[in-house]
This record gives sequence, C-alpha cells and structure tokens, in this order.
Amino acid sequence: MNGREELVLRCAHRRREKIGSLSDEGFAELCLAVRENPAAFVDSPEQASFATLVSALETFHRAGADDDLLDDDEFRAARGRRLRALSAGCAQALSQDDGCLDARLVQTLAAELDPDDRLDALLEIEAKADATAGLSLGATGDAWDDVFMRPRLRLWDAIARTCLDGGRYRMALEVSRGVMAASPADRVGGRLTAALALARLEDEEGFNELDARLAGRENSWLNLGRTILLYKLGRMSAARRALRGYDGLCEGAAYALLRPTLVEVYLPDRPESPAGGFEEATFTVHEAEPVIVDVPDFVAWADGFPWFHAAGKNYAETNGYDW
Amino acid sequence: MAYDPRREDYQRLALRYAQSLSKSDPVAAARAFTDFGRRFARDRDTLPQSDADRAFHLVSIAAEVIDYQLPFSSEDKAGALISRGRDLLDEAISLDPQCHDAIRMRAARTSATFDAQFDFLSEGAEEVLASCQAARDSIPDDGDDERVTLGRDIAMRPYRRWMAALAEEALICGRNRRCAEAGERLLERDPSDQADVRFTLALAYAKLEDQASLDALARRYGSIAPPRAADDAWMGIARLALAHKSHDMALARQLLERLIGAYDGCASALISQIELPDGVFARLAVPPYSEDELILAISEATVLLQEGDEKSGRGVLGSWVAQTTAKLYPEALAEAQEVSNPYDQHGGNGPQGGDAA
Repeated sequence: MNGREELVLRCAHRRREKIGSLSDEGFAELCLAVRENPAAFVDSPEQASFATLVSALETFHRAGADDDLLDDDEFRAARGRRLRALSAGCAQALSQDDGCLDARLVQTLAAELDPDDRLDALLEIEAKADATAGLSLGATGDAWDDVFMRPRLRLWDAIARTCLDGGRYRMALEVSRGVMAASPADRVGGRLTAALALARLEDEEGFNELDARLAGRENSWLNLGRTILLYKLGRMSAARRALRGYDGLCEGAAYALLRPTLVEVYLPDRPESPAGGFEEATFTVHEAEPVIVDVPDFVAWADGFPWFHAAGKNYAETNGYDW
Repeated sequence: MAYDPRREDYQRLALRYAQSLSKSDPVAAARAFTDFGRRFARDRDTLPQSDADRAFHLVSIAAEVIDYQLPFSSEDKAGALISRGRDLLDEAISLDPQCHDAIRMRAARTSATFDAQFDFLSEGAEEVLASCQAARDSIPDDGDDERVTLGRDIAMRPYRRWMAALAEEALICGRNRRCAEAGERLLERDPSDQADVRFTLALAYAKLEDQASLDALARRYGSIAPPRAADDAWMGIARLALAHKSHDMALARQLLERLIGAYDGCASALISQIELPDGVFARLAVPPYSEDELILAISEATVLLQEGDEKSGRGVLGSWVAQTTAKLYPEALAEAQEVSNPYDQHGGNGPQGGDAA
C-alpha cells in the first residue's frame, strides 16, 4: 500500500468534490499541490484519520529498518514494541474516524491472531463495512480506480490470504475471485492467492483458466503454484519443467524455496516488489508455506535437481547469504 | 472389517486342510477338523501348505511384530523387533517371491521418503493385480461354493491391501487426487470395501474440499459388508473439516458433537490427537466405535488436523477440535491431561512415522 500517494489522492478527490467541476488538467494540478503539502488539505476527520494511519505505518517500517542487526531475542522484543506502537497509531486513527477501514485492518493484522480468530475479526470488519456502503465498481469498472474503495479490496485480499493460512482453500479461492471481479486489473493480487489455492486443491482446470486469463503475465505465484499442482498430480516430468519456469523467472527463486526466510506480516497488504526480483520469490514462498508443507517431500524433490540446488547455492554465495 | 493377519493365516491353512479331507466320509472329515485347531496351534508344519501359505504365515508374524508390538515397545527393545520383522519379511519373500504383502511391507520400511514408497506402490499396482487375479483363477471349483469363494477372496486380498496402502501413501504425500483415484479403483473392484479404503477416501475428499464426492461416498455405504452406517470417525472428521473449511462454525460444532456421540466416552482422544505409525500390514484391526478406532482415525486425519499456519503447531483444525471438545467436555480435558501431555505427542518423527528401520 502506497499510503502517502493514497493520502494525496484522497485529499485531492475530496477537494474536487468541494470545488465542483474540475477538468482533468485542473485535477492533475490539484494533485501536485496536495503532494507538496498534504497536511494543508487534510480538512476532515476522514482524511486526518487516514493521515494518522499512514504516519504510523511509516514509523513502523522506518523503526524496523535496522532490526536485522539485532539478535533473535532483541529482534522479537523490538518488533513487539513496534507492533504495539502501530496498534496504538491505529487506535488513534480510529478515534478520529471510526470508519477508517485500513486502520481497523492494520490493527487486526498487527495483533497476529491465529487464522480462525483473524478470520472472524476480518469478517466482522467486512460485515460492518458492507452495512455502511456496498462496494461499487465505479465508472471504470474497476473498484481500484476509486481510491476510497481500495481499503475494501485490501480487506478482501487479507480475508483470502487468511483463509489460505487457515486451510480454507475453497473459501480463499472464492474471495480472491471476488477481488478479481471487483478489480479486473487486480492491483491487489487476488490472482496470486487464487493460484496457490487452486494448486492446493489440485484443480487443474481452474488453474489453467486462471493461467489463460493472465496470459503473458507470468509471476512467481503462478509458476510455483503450477509446479506444486503438477507435482501433486504425479506428473513429474511436467512438474520438473514448471520448476525450471519458477527458477528462471525470479532472481534467487531456488534460494527462496530451499532456504525460506522470515517475512514480516503484511501490513496491510503484500508489499510491492519489482517483477522478477528476489523479493517476489520470497513473498511467494512465504504465502505458499502452508501449501508446501502439505506436500512433505516437495522441497527435497526440487533440491534433488542439481541445477536447482546449484542455482540456490550460487545465489547465496553471490549475495553473501548463509547456505 | 479390517484385515486380521492371524485370522487370515488360519483361514488359509484351514482351507487347504479342508481340501485335503475326504469328501466321501463327512464324519471322518469332521473329526479330522477338530484335530486341525490343535495342529495349527502347536504343530503347524505337519499341516498341508504351500510356500505361499508358509510365506503368509511369516507375514502374519511380521505384522504382529511391526504393527502391534513395535509401537508399544520400549526403545531398547525396538531395535530387536525391527530386525525380527525385517528377517521375517525377507524369509517370506525367499519362500514366495510373489508374496506381495511381504514385498510391500519391506518397501514401507526401506523406502527413504513418502514419495519413494508412493512411486513403488503406484508402479507395482498393475502387476500385483494381474498376479492376484492369476492366483484367484487358478483355484479350482471343487463344488464347495463357500470354500471356493473364500479361497478366491483370499487370493485377491494382497491386491486390496496394496491399493489401500497406495491410497494412504498418496494422502500422506499430499497427492489427494491420486489418493481418490486409487481408492475409487479399489472400491469399484470391491464394493463391500473389505479394506476400508473409504475411510482414506473420506479424508482425501475433505482435503480436496469436495463435498459432492464426500456425499457420494456416504451413499455408497449401502454396499459395505458387513453393513455399517456412514458415521465412522473418518467420515465424521471429514464432514466437520469441510464445515470448518467453509467457515460454518455452528455446523462444525454440531458435527463434532455428533462424532463424540458416536464414540461415547472417547472425547479425550480428540484433545490428545496422538499420531501413531500407520499399520504396515494394513490398518490395525480394532472394534468399530471403540476408542482405538477413534484414535486411529484421528491419527490418519493428521493431514487435515495439522494444516494451516497456527502458533501452537497443532494446526488450525486440530486446535479448534481440541479446544472445542475441551470446552464441551471438561472431563475429557482432565482425562487427556492425565494420560499424557498432548503437546508432547507431536515430535515429527520423520518419513515413516517414527517406526522406520
């Protein structure tokens, strides 16, 4: 979530509503002005609340920048403090405007509940949000284009991923399909969760459909999902080829699978990562973790291919990581 | 009905003995048969038998050692039991190179990974089928229908156990469609479901979140022999897993209560959730609706219970089942805590569930 940018868009939109009609050029200029000094345009509890949340998130990430230098215990303690501060920031945002969906979402995710409790909490937020306002696709047919609808998409995405964490794969699939229907451009990434759920459900037809929809837009989730799917179905030579596809797409993909690293909880959504980079593979493996452990010999199978093993090792050596 | 190796050993020899008796003198035959029990118990080598019968006898002892003694033995005795089991199986195979039970059991103990055992079983399935069919077809029709039927049935059992083991291994490997395929194939050949493969199938359909196939499976309980309602623990866990997965928590709770109702007084097993090594000969033979049966089902349902990203390590469904049961039946919680600390039971013992040689 690019909070700063969304704050600018929100303020600009509300200002335009006040002004009345404004040309596209006029709106672009307004955006520039807001970007210069957002605080000057925060003129309602709604925007103030969102601004508070954005600051709290920035503080959280900034304060954690050097945490990897700490040892395990210190890291845990420091992270706990950061999460509590973030939660307090969310509470403050909600005191300004209790309809701030993102603040509620971040606060729930920061509590790091187990999947059952997290799902209950998120569904409760969704029920309240739905009672207040239905989701509309707007003029473009994509809810993402309305900046005020984005929190809702993020909430759905979080629900889908929580379902995936909780062993609810069909539900994860349904919710992520909902995300894709509401936002066909799918900036939130419903298709990524869908790919993993389809792989776990061994739903080849569904997976191929998704694949066809995304023709030409390969990504690590799709490639790892396809590998797992084919592996589960016992089509081992096809699975091997898919593994090559996974390995070739992202930098360090083999390392990410063979040496999974700790990934910070998404607050509130999947951090943006450059396509084909190591981060993409890391996020994929992190999200796929429940699906991967469900196929107990999968990682050893992948590791058994000398080229895959070597790819992981080379990446570690090149980047100075442990192997 | 699960497979009881000792009973099958007895049936094989009794059948062969009966065939050797004079048909023209029923009184003498009846007298001779009273003699059979004594000789079977004490002087078995004097009875007529083939190498296949001798091999199966060794299999039955190996099953006893590996499936029934080893899981309950002390650590210092385990090594001796393991090598005894291995020797018995080796000898069985040297007596009868077509002894599929022994071959399968030995592979279960030598395969390095779940996948290796799955591949082994999957690759051998057709050959085992052909071999068992040939053995079945070679049994002459001597006019005694009951005997011929039993003889032919016994000839097919190694295949059924093979397929049941394949389905189970597929489930463990996370290959749920392959599990369903193997199970359905077996069920088609044996609608009476001697091997109880429907239990494994129920778990696979829950893994695939395939309610329609689970419902269809329940309808096929009509052809099970001996008859049994579709309220066994496997079916019960599969149903409540599906309710939990679709977030119908009220239904999940209701199904959990129904399961506990079917296994009266056994609720503590749902809190302890002990993971046992799977039977290498076949699923352990335990009485229907006994606590042992519930324990077995829970152990096999580990693939459902331990799924998901959950802090305690018991899995999302596993935690929910344990917590909900404990809330509903506080006395079961006390009992579970008395028997053992449930959290100590999840050591993760490597590929063969901790009983590997």
